Amino acid sequence: MRNMTILVVDDDPVIRRMLEKRLEKAGYEVLIAEDGYQARKILPQQHIDVVLTDLMMPGSIGGIEVLDIAKNISQNIEVILITAHSSIDTAVEAMKKGAADYLEKPINFDELFLRLEKIANVQSIMRNAQDLSQAMDTTESAAALTIQNLEIRTAELQSRIESIEAILRDEQNPPYERIYKVLDLLTDPQ
Amino acid sequence: MLKISPDELKLVAQYIHDISGIYLDQSKSYLFETRLGSIATEHGCNTYKELYQKAKTEPSKTIERKIIDAISTNETLFFRDKGPFELLQHKLLPELIDARTPGSPALKTNIKIWSAASSTGQELYSIAIIIKELIPNISKYNIKLLGTDISDGAVAQASRGKYNKFEMERGLPGDKLQRYFTMFGDSWTIKDEIRAMVQFRKLNLMLPFAGLGKFDIIFCRNVAIYFTLPDRQKLFNKIADSLADDGYLIIGSTESLTGICPRFIPKRHLRSIFYQKK
Repeated sequence: MRNMTILVVDDDPVIRRMLEKRLEKAGYEVLIAEDGYQARKILPQQHIDVVLTDLMMPGSIGGIEVLDIAKNISQNIEVILITAHSSIDTAVEAMKKGAADYLEKPINFDELFLRLEKIANVQSIMRNAQDLSQAMDTTESAAALTIQNLEIRTAELQSRIESIEAILRDEQNPPYERIYKVLDLLTDPQ
Repeated sequence: MLKISPDELKLVAQYIHDISGIYLDQSKSYLFETRLGSIATEHGCNTYKELYQKAKTEPSKTIERKIIDAISTNETLFFRDKGPFELLQHKLLPELIDARTPGSPALKTNIKIWSAASSTGQELYSIAIIIKELIPNISKYNIKLLGTDISDGAVAQASRGKYNKFEMERGLPGDKLQRYFTMFGDSWTIKDEIRAMVQFRKLNLMLPFAGLGKFDIIFCRNVAIYFTLPDRQKLFNKIADSLADDGYLIIGSTESLTGICPRFIPKRHLRSIFYQKK
């Protein structure tokens, strides 16, 4: 399984440093943003699997706004919010807007790693499903082209056979003329 | 997982064919086991024969419905395979509107479209979205969009118009997603303006369906592949009866009607094929 890249967004330098250390130790690629504004800059420039963001940050870009920005870039970016107990209602609102989960402060790292593991599993299943459907699409469009050509060609030949039958059965014309007409039709390159 | 015996395979395959028309390859016993095993356990059956007998005799048909839901394939996407939808938008609908618009402006234009194996509804909703975008003065039209499927579960999900993120994953461009769906958590629900345009109901394509009336366009994609050749012949013959004389039939991109229904002729438009009656 490929290592996930996690963007940590928190204005508290102590928490930032702690998250960075623990996540790197656990084998994740970690990017750091000191606030929502930095996150807004980093998000479109890097491939990010998970955003771990504080809900309350100074300025007009808080955790909810970071969530919106991330989901706008790709629905595949999962966002986990870190909240104080008092702001759980806001966190639930965030879940409705597509956040994967929220964690209460102080952060329980076992809980955090379990959530990340779950996200990694889902993402790997998603990728697998995408690969399979990609392969199916390729096979299907190649097969479709062949079948369509055969379908049209068969219909053309069928209609030619019907014309030939009509000519051969047409008793208004003498037999040799019918044969010439049929030969004309058969040498027609269409 | 409950194991299925060769005798049971034969029995169950025949039963599934009888109730749904779906022909399952008896060499794929795992398919029966993975899809029906949990239904058997759930209803306290120790063998598939027991399940079969219970399903057949049970008056409420609950088990029969569960078996159909489990056995029918519902892999489908919004705008699955772009070809048919481009065909609809750029050729079939404009032609149909020309042909059906009445002389008097007081009269409405009637258009009837049927998605014959609508699964969880993505195909019919995609059609509705195209119509919504193509026809600005929609009040001048009387448009009937019908989706039918053999699976109750699929019909119920289609009617709810609610999809999870996996089901939304491919096919739907971002602008259409924002415009026609409402997000709630990880799921997306089709907006009422589109939902109100369509209707879903249960139908077994093996049974007569002339009662549905005549349609201008019929989508019957990737369902006949699960039927035997004689069943396919019967199906497309009935579809020909249900299609307006100048109507259009669209089948799956890897399907063919050669040797199945001589009443249809294939026509090519760009990278797609559609069928009309001779």
